[in-house]
Amino acid sequence: MRKLIVVLAIIFTILGVIFSILPMDTLAFLPIGLALVFTLLLLKKSEEEQKKLPKALLFICTICSVFVLGKTLFINDEVEVDQKFELQKIETKEEAKKELEEIEGLE
Amino acid sequence: MKRIFFIFCLLSFLTSVTTINSQTIKSGEKLIFTGTYNMSGLMTQLAQVTMSTETVSTAKNSYLHLNCELATYSKWDSFFKIRDIYESFVNPANLKPSLYKRSIDEGGYTKKEKYVFKGNTVTSTSKKRKKPETQKTFTIGSSTQDVISLFYKVRTMDFSKFKVGQTVSLMIVFDEKQIPVTLKYMGKETISAGNLGRKECYKMSIGAKTDALKGKDKNLIWLTADAKKIPALLKFSIPVGTGQLTLTSATGI
Repeated sequence: MRKLIVVLAIIFTILGVIFSILPMDTLAFLPIGLALVFTLLLLKKSEEEQKKLPKALLFICTICSVFVLGKTLFINDEVEVDQKFELQKIETKEEAKKELEEIEGLE
Repeated sequence: MKRIFFIFCLLSFLTSVTTINSQTIKSGEKLIFTGTYNMSGLMTQLAQVTMSTETVSTAKNSYLHLNCELATYSKWDSFFKIRDIYESFVNPANLKPSLYKRSIDEGGYTKKEKYVFKGNTVTSTSKKRKKPETQKTFTIGSSTQDVISLFYKVRTMDFSKFKVGQTVSLMIVFDEKQIPVTLKYMGKETISAGNLGRKECYKMSIGAKTDALKGKDKNLIWLTADAKKIPALLKFSIPVGTGQLTLTSATGI
């Protein structure tokens, strides 16, 4: 049983780290939350000399939580000014104007 | 993203079956939405949707250019960059489309579409990445519109006399075919509408015979219950979680 909890705690901690790095916002709390649950369970089921791993996982989860919270609260989402896209918009509009004139010519 | 966009347009389109009042869509309007994915209250912001209007003139006519852009936030660009443009050129008086264009770039997958409306006939041209251009001509109903112009047309409709549960059936052109759409009035709710503050809104449910929409009464749109009928919120259901478009800014209305 303890082995299963160890595996699950490690898997969800790794997922928590990955989700924290990716721009998942608060969705990252999903694996982090599960990692915390399994880590705390592991801590409860561990003997004194076995508590090194759950404590390390707990530390990683805490760091991830703070990181995600900080990103969510202090970083504003912005759309990058994309010169290629801006140019495309202008070209598309000009093209459309010509096409409208062609349509009018057919009427 | 196509799903988000489709639902967004469709939901608003479904509302459009009623009588048109004198309200017209102004040139110079700009609506900005934030597109998010939600799961059990947890969420991530994916993209920004900008809808704007402007007048475009040719030697003979003047058109209202209805433009919709979708762009992922910079944090997502390295993983899955999306830059979509949907636009419709319509008669400013009755919002009847003359030309509809769609240009999408979703993580490297590109597609360009052009629909030319002539009476009850549509000539569509489609070009996908690494594939030859295809052309198709098909007939549409007299009230069938493209999704963008329909979205705006819905906003010229009068919902004040709608009864809860009342439905409307409509037709739109999407992916080179006509798609029947149903709109159901769900009542009124007061919700946040970005820079407009809290607003009383018409809540509408959208249904369509397409894979893009799933679930019963799970694809919803809230339109401010005033003359402008600004879309304040749009929710749609996907197998894992929900997506939504939230109005953040409305200017030039």
